[in-house]
Amino acid sequence: MSEIYNPNPVIFSTNKQSKSNIHSIWLQDDEGYGSDTYFDDIVEPIDQNEIFDLIRTIYDPEHPNTLEELNVVSAPQIKISGNHLHVEFTPTVPHCGMSTLIGLSIRVRLMRSLPDRFKVDIVVKPGSHQSELAVNKQLNDKERVAAALENPALVKTIEATLQQGVV
Amino acid sequence: MTSTTRSVQTWMATENEAELESLVSEVTEGKTTLVNIVKALGEYLTSEEDKIRTKGVELLSSVIARCPADKLTRQAVRVLLAFLCQKLEDTETIIPALKGLLSLARTSNCLPEDAPAIAKALFTHAKMNVLVQTVRHTVFSILDALVDRHRQTLKELNNEFLSGYLRMAEGEKDPRNLLVAFAIDRVLIIEFDIKDYIEAFFNVTFCYFPITFRPPPNDPYGITTDDLKAALRGCLTATPEFGRMAIPLFLEKLTAGSPATKRDTLSTMSACFPVYGSGLARSSARELWNHLKLEIFQPTDNITADMALSCTQELVKTIYAPGQEDQKEDDEIEGLAQDVCQECTKILREPEKSQARPAIKVLCAFMSTTPSVARYTISKVVPYLMQLFRAIEETGARVSTLLLLSDVIAAARDATDKDSTPALLPFKDEVFGVATTGLTSASMRAPGIACMLGLVSTQGLLTDEELGFVVHKATEVLSEAAQSDEDEADILKLLTTITGLTPHHVVEQTLPTLFSALPENPPASTDLVAHAKYRRTLEALKTLCQKAELFEVFMVRLTTRVELLCVPASADPDADPEARAAYAYAILKTISRTLAVKVEEKHVDVSKYIERHVPRVFNLFVYASVTLPGGLHSRLISAAAETVDLVCQTLSTERFQSFLEGTFRVFVDGDVSGDIAQGQFKIPAGWKGPFADGASDAQKSLIVLFAGSVVSAYKENTIPVTSLSAFLDQLLQWSLQDTTSHVQQIAAWKIVSSLVNKHTPEVLEFLNDKVAVFWPTRFEDVGLDADNHRRTIGCWVYLARALLVQNHSLTAPFVDRLFEVFPRADIGWDAAKALGRLVDPHAEDGAVLVKKHRAVTRILHVQKFVSTVLPRIIDGATAKEGGEAVQLSYLVGLTALIRAIPKALYASYMPTLIPLLLRGVDLPDDEIRANVIDTFLAAADGDTPEKSLISAHATSLVTKMLKYSRVVEMRNVRVRVAALKYLGVIPAIVRYDVVHPVKARVVKELVEALDDPKRAVRREAVEARTTWFKAAA
Repeated sequence: MSEIYNPNPVIFSTNKQSKSNIHSIWLQDDEGYGSDTYFDDIVEPIDQNEIFDLIRTIYDPEHPNTLEELNVVSAPQIKISGNHLHVEFTPTVPHCGMSTLIGLSIRVRLMRSLPDRFKVDIVVKPGSHQSELAVNKQLNDKERVAAALENPALVKTIEATLQQGVV
Repeated sequence: MTSTTRSVQTWMATENEAELESLVSEVTEGKTTLVNIVKALGEYLTSEEDKIRTKGVELLSSVIARCPADKLTRQAVRVLLAFLCQKLEDTETIIPALKGLLSLARTSNCLPEDAPAIAKALFTHAKMNVLVQTVRHTVFSILDALVDRHRQTLKELNNEFLSGYLRMAEGEKDPRNLLVAFAIDRVLIIEFDIKDYIEAFFNVTFCYFPITFRPPPNDPYGITTDDLKAALRGCLTATPEFGRMAIPLFLEKLTAGSPATKRDTLSTMSACFPVYGSGLARSSARELWNHLKLEIFQPTDNITADMALSCTQELVKTIYAPGQEDQKEDDEIEGLAQDVCQECTKILREPEKSQARPAIKVLCAFMSTTPSVARYTISKVVPYLMQLFRAIEETGARVSTLLLLSDVIAAARDATDKDSTPALLPFKDEVFGVATTGLTSASMRAPGIACMLGLVSTQGLLTDEELGFVVHKATEVLSEAAQSDEDEADILKLLTTITGLTPHHVVEQTLPTLFSALPENPPASTDLVAHAKYRRTLEALKTLCQKAELFEVFMVRLTTRVELLCVPASADPDADPEARAAYAYAILKTISRTLAVKVEEKHVDVSKYIERHVPRVFNLFVYASVTLPGGLHSRLISAAAETVDLVCQTLSTERFQSFLEGTFRVFVDGDVSGDIAQGQFKIPAGWKGPFADGASDAQKSLIVLFAGSVVSAYKENTIPVTSLSAFLDQLLQWSLQDTTSHVQQIAAWKIVSSLVNKHTPEVLEFLNDKVAVFWPTRFEDVGLDADNHRRTIGCWVYLARALLVQNHSLTAPFVDRLFEVFPRADIGWDAAKALGRLVDPHAEDGAVLVKKHRAVTRILHVQKFVSTVLPRIIDGATAKEGGEAVQLSYLVGLTALIRAIPKALYASYMPTLIPLLLRGVDLPDDEIRANVIDTFLAAADGDTPEKSLISAHATSLVTKMLKYSRVVEMRNVRVRVAALKYLGVIPAIVRYDVVHPVKARVVKELVEALDDPKRAVRREAVEARTTWFKAAA
């Protein structure tokens, strides 16, 4: 990468979620599963948090930080209604040339991880990028996305950002 | 002709080992001398023919090498040395002559005055560039022996020796030779006067830096990269004179190198700085820092960054080493430390940015350099961060500032010795104030707690009063956290740290708050949130109350609460029994979990609860079983039994004996007059123990409590019954006939299992009867149905396991009985599954026969069992004669067994097992199916595409896994999850040419699993699909 668009981005601390069991009046036993939720027929629908879990660990192409740490993506920026999913992300700087790449990474991750019934819109946060329209267009045009994913170098970069754990 | 001459002549003709032996033994026995051998060799040594000369010297050297040291007299050594040195001139004899010289150079009769001659001869005649590696190795070894033994004499030669040696060492490339050469280099550099040869030595050592040697696979010489690196580093750090030339070279390698080179350079530099001295460090500080900075602020990876950091530390330590003549007053640090501090604090101006992290790391690293630098750094950074914190208004940046501060506090703590005054002391009040602000404001809590934690754990920093204040604030935060459902792990960690220093604040302030947060009456069973809330409080108590002082209060309060809940003072008609039981269960479980941690950490205060806690538990449960209709909930009994069991694990043999006697009186004799069931409840008549005729269901259930008190007895303890065999028989009969629940049976079997295990010799009669009479009778009895048989198999597992874990010879007949019923249609599968339970550490009986319960176990008992049983099962599963039904039983047995044992035990059978397991996957039983897939998963660990066991079956496995991953095909969540997990592993363990044909299909069909109704399944589906997407040649 020849040019670093934002050499010193802001790092946000990630939130820990408290996991309290409010499904039963009984204290959960030590043996993890075997709990009732494992075998019943209750449907757990795909929700905002599950989508967030899918994309929070994507790495920024420029930094050894995740999109969550850089506040590029967040749970409230994900809207889900029926089969329609709307994901908004915030580039760290308005001139960030990496925005399209970040958006593509999100798209690839969601393409691989969500059932076909979803229609996914990925957009930059309104007013957060100087070429907002161009980026949005590139990310939501089927043909353009497909064309981009024909480029082996680009695919390699995207795979790197999707790597779990280490950069 | 003497025998010596004869031997020499024969050897020259035949090169026969025997002749060599006889020559050596002649010399050893004094029948001849080495000089005689030389004489006998005479004509050969001067022969015109090259080959003959070589062989002649060869023979001589071989004899010298094998000769005992005392036969190498001074006289002989001198003559031989002169002779061999002369033979170096001849290119045909130089190789054997060097061998001879090496043997001689290592003897004690090779005196200092010989050394110069040998060295000169070597320098003159040994042309390193024409000699092969082994010969060069001999040369280096001779030089090494000389330098080692005759250093003084060689030092007198100094320049002549050094220049000679340098000529020989130049251009050496073989790692074996280099190891010797580096050792010699280091001695010469340190001990010889090398002022004229500094550059030459620099050249012959630094040219090898950095070492990039990689040992070939199966290297017979066993030289590692690290050996070479260490040897070379010994040379590079041998003299300060290298410094001036070395630094530019290091920096060049650091800039241009690969990560491995960078790391090697950084750690070599760290080792070199102290040797090269503070003068050089100071003059090149700027340049060094400019390079190190890059590695820290734009790191290639974390390890390199950390090494760059510690390299910087070494640099700073070297520059500011105490005792430097131009050292200024303590707090007037100049030069590098000052510059770097300024540079880093400048970066801290934007505390929320990513560069602030490495900057604070550098500053923290400075704290563990020299005391003066540490003081200086703290005096600059701490006030700066304070001022920053006050100046900025944006919360995000304040949070970041506090986080940075917490790093500084922790670094300051770790850098000061235990006894000296804390470095942070001058800034204590201010820092404490800022940390308090953080702690008490919701948005800055996490970093605030981190700061506080650092302050609290700094020895000698905070006063008792201040600690009290922290506890006060933390307790408030804790109650707040409970309200807003925040994560409370950090605040609890802070409080726990304080209890480690002084428990009284927490006892006085926090505990009352927490106890008052526990409701007196259980919340309604519909109010799930309220139930979750008290469980949080209990969880907090568990974390906090590990120390003896706190644990005591904890036990008193919680036991009382359980008593009040189980036996309410006034019978409330609206009371919700389930909610009440759930609340009491949560408390009892908290007690047992807290005890479990304490027992694990061997806290000494646990054992006293045999008097304080156990009698109260017995009293309460016995009372309730007699007075309350139905007694107490079975979960409560189990949880209480766990607490008793845990306390019992800490008793001495003597104490356990008296406890056992009391326990047997209560449960077997039904006598509650002793101390063992004392408490606040007066037990009315009617208690006769669980085994008595006409005992109620509630009373029978207390067998669980009895089991908890017995299973950890020592094998030396006497069981207070007249005949152990008879007692076991009764217990077994009772478990099969009189019990009213599975829980009661299990408890009885646990007791039987534990007693049989510890008293096997005493109960042989009982055991033999079981094999010979009990089992056949039960299975021939037409009046017993499958359920009865299942019960028999159930207790059988407990009996057999008691023997199996100690490798007892009776195990075999017990196991045979199980095999016998494999063909039975009604219970064949149950017997087969029992095989797995015998060795499964996670089976419900697994926890009984373990070390903490003082069971008698032998190592490798599982191995022994598997090695006899597994081949038998494999035979059974493939044998035709029994018919398919029997084969299937064996197959079930196989899946149960394999699932329970470590992979190493069945790895060698894998090729035979795989076709069987593939059949097992399709057995109509979800549990078996999930077990088989888990086995495939375990077997996949360590499998590689190069030698995969499942390659041939991959396609059919993929098809099966896809099928079982779909919710329409498979309702069981566990199977779906396992199938997807295994599917995700397959691309990594088979060659890509196997993966490729099915890839498109897998990727397409997995879409269905992505839409599974269960989140856990979807998560695995995502993983698996991503792996398949990425699978490529």
